[in-house]
Amino acid sequence: MSRIFITGMGIISAIGNDVANNRQSLTQGKSGIGHSELLQSRYASILPFGEIKISTTDLKEKLGAKESGITRTDLLALHAFEEVIANSQLTEAEISSPRTALVGATTVGGMCLTDELYHDANKQDQGSEYLSSYDCGSVNIYLQKRYQIGGIINTINTACSSSANAIMYGARLIRHGLADRAIVGGVDSLAKFTINGFNSLHILSNELCAPFDENRKGLNLGEAAAFLVLEKEEVTGNKTKYAALTGYGNSNDAFHPSSLSDNGDGPFLAMQEALAIANLSPDKIDYVNAHGTGTENNDLSESAAMIRLFGIPPAFSSTKAYTGHTLGAAGAIEGVFSILSLYNGELYAGIHFDKPIPTTGLRPILSYEKKEVRHVMSNSFGFGGNCSSLIFSKA
Amino acid sequence: MFYIHDTICISPQTSYTDIDLGKINGPVENKLLAKEPSYEGIPLGILRRMGRAVRMGVGAALQITKQNLDGIIIGTGNGGMEDCIKFLNQIIEYEEGMLTPTNFVQSTTNAIAGQIGLMTKNKGYNCTHVHRGLAFENAIIDADMLLTENSSAKYLLGAVDEISAYNYNIDLLDGWFKKEKLTNENLYDLNSAGSIAGEGAAMFLASKEKIGASAEIKAIHILHSDNEQMIASELKKFISKYTSEEKLNLVLSGENGDNRLQKYYSTCETQLPEKLAIARFKHLFGEHASASALAVWLSCQIIIKQSVPKHLLKFPANNAGINEILIYNNHKGIQHSFILISRVDG
Amino acid sequence: MEKEQLKQQLKKQIITFLNLMQVKPEDIKDDEPLFGEGLGLDSIDSIELIVLLNREYGINIQDPKEGRKVLVDVNTMVDYIIAHRTK
Repeated sequence: MSRIFITGMGIISAIGNDVANNRQSLTQGKSGIGHSELLQSRYASILPFGEIKISTTDLKEKLGAKESGITRTDLLALHAFEEVIANSQLTEAEISSPRTALVGATTVGGMCLTDELYHDANKQDQGSEYLSSYDCGSVNIYLQKRYQIGGIINTINTACSSSANAIMYGARLIRHGLADRAIVGGVDSLAKFTINGFNSLHILSNELCAPFDENRKGLNLGEAAAFLVLEKEEVTGNKTKYAALTGYGNSNDAFHPSSLSDNGDGPFLAMQEALAIANLSPDKIDYVNAHGTGTENNDLSESAAMIRLFGIPPAFSSTKAYTGHTLGAAGAIEGVFSILSLYNGELYAGIHFDKPIPTTGLRPILSYEKKEVRHVMSNSFGFGGNCSSLIFSKA
Repeated sequence: MFYIHDTICISPQTSYTDIDLGKINGPVENKLLAKEPSYEGIPLGILRRMGRAVRMGVGAALQITKQNLDGIIIGTGNGGMEDCIKFLNQIIEYEEGMLTPTNFVQSTTNAIAGQIGLMTKNKGYNCTHVHRGLAFENAIIDADMLLTENSSAKYLLGAVDEISAYNYNIDLLDGWFKKEKLTNENLYDLNSAGSIAGEGAAMFLASKEKIGASAEIKAIHILHSDNEQMIASELKKFISKYTSEEKLNLVLSGENGDNRLQKYYSTCETQLPEKLAIARFKHLFGEHASASALAVWLSCQIIIKQSVPKHLLKFPANNAGINEILIYNNHKGIQHSFILISRVDG
Repeated sequence: MEKEQLKQQLKKQIITFLNLMQVKPEDIKDDEPLFGEGLGLDSIDSIELIVLLNREYGINIQDPKEGRKVLVDVNTMVDYIIAHRTK
């Protein structure tokens, strides 16, 4: 079977507007979480957020997005999409080919416009310009139209594991001969909707999130977009191959609508399946980019699953302490971070960590490290029990 | 591709039990509302939290998940939109104060597949496709790939969308629903913009097992375009690649009475073999992101019963048996799908 | 308001708030555990009940441990309401 390579990456997050800047923040252990400047919410001044410090108006200007009804979510996606196209040197003909697929993920879509949606849904006036921009599909429909992408187009929403599943779906389209190339990723922007949703569940921390720490108090929300270009070997030409996508797994925890089981069945099964697809034994994994949201429940469940799978887990950390939890974008941005780790031979430090959880004793790696990395696992788990795990390997 | 075994449908028509497509249930205030069953399989403690979409999806799915399944694949354009806006209304009305989380948890589009997984303790593959009018089509593609990866597997495949006051308002303001008084009869003749709102859930058991199957999904093609010539030429290629004039007996057209979209259907009709029967279904199920899933359910019914209810036919058939049905659906003029469904021999 | 009246009112509010279909106020006993057995409520319901106390009685419970002490049964809830209500 031909291998699937990553030939392009694009990203925008609280720690940088492109791949190079994201990597720099990661190597320096610099978090992008803090006071929000742009967010309009009662919690803007109370809770820390992983906000991208470019206003929606400036993004529109910068990207020349003059269409009506464009949301911040669309713009963040477009920003990362432009970078990924340039990075993979895709031509117009390649983009519009029926052999090029687009698989994106989002959980919030155009619902970042909470107030506009409220007015439109309750029919309080003639309707805003955003009437066809609220649903999750709208983001990729916008990208398809703007770039005339010719192949299979899809949008996936499995909550916080959405973009891991988008990457997996794109890889499978290639594996099954339904595409030669898939542009895959995800996006979510900060929204009153998700902030209040997670807050109502009491899982937002008013401090910087501390993944895997004994005294972790919850997650910080962030916003981001990232895309990867996946290509089958035959069409990669002389392009840089940043990594190969070798494994993926999707399982359901089937335990609770909004929390994971104590023994981490779903996470365990997803990781186990990813290893089976990659045909690797657990000891071959050099680094795990953990889901690590910093909630009481996730970190405990994920730790239990890692201990079940690995015995002694390999080096791991959660980059959510840098970016915040970016929901539908998390799997994609952490995919980029995993690939950067492989390509550059380096591991990113877990930050804001003090003491391990007493029952697990697990410690994330605590300093930036140069190291030969062959296989990286990236985990994403979400509400609805949706658990996914990806494995990237050296090209 | 793969076979469809059990089929369950909750729709505005008599489709859940004692299926009767001869008589038509009409719209109420321009909305074709689903006839919901009593959901006896869902414990009250769980049912109390479910919004309409989750309830219809889970209710229909539970009839199929009585078997051991390898996973759950759901398509939905909007998921639990009603809960979503209820939560939104709380945000505004209580000024981001103390809010109740149930609406939020239920509003995520993956709540349907998640809840089915939870209730049936299914730890297998679980995915929710939300690509608006092609959500179910992507679920079909996903199912096909999974069944190619594991030919002995069985999956729950389905789609659901609801009419909530909110998504109705949004689409009405956006010009997708007609404002004149609608009946099942006048939908196709009003020559105005917009269609009729509808909702429903269709769930299928998908596998590679031919024995006992109700129908086979033979091919699918999806595309994004607003160019009717391009759609028509893709349709022609699709027909010549996957079927033939002899085998193809019926086209189920997604025509929805919106005069802005008529050009796609009319142009596509010019590519069809002469004297081919054409039937329509949106006067039964209305227009929504999962309408094509209900059309697949309807195709299975037509194949099982080997007859087409008269009120569906735009051009009647002159041949008796129905071997293959082609569904052409179009969502909001930009998302198009062709699905080929076949009778199972022997 | 009399304690008994308050209990009746609270039971009605619990039923409405949690959409407890087919449960009548008289089905809920004053000393029946709300969680686990008894009514069989779960962690999301406990958050819903904290919101109920906030909206109906102006009580603000922030600490989940405090919540667990209050949300034992109707008796404990009513005692807490009497002691802490602001409306």
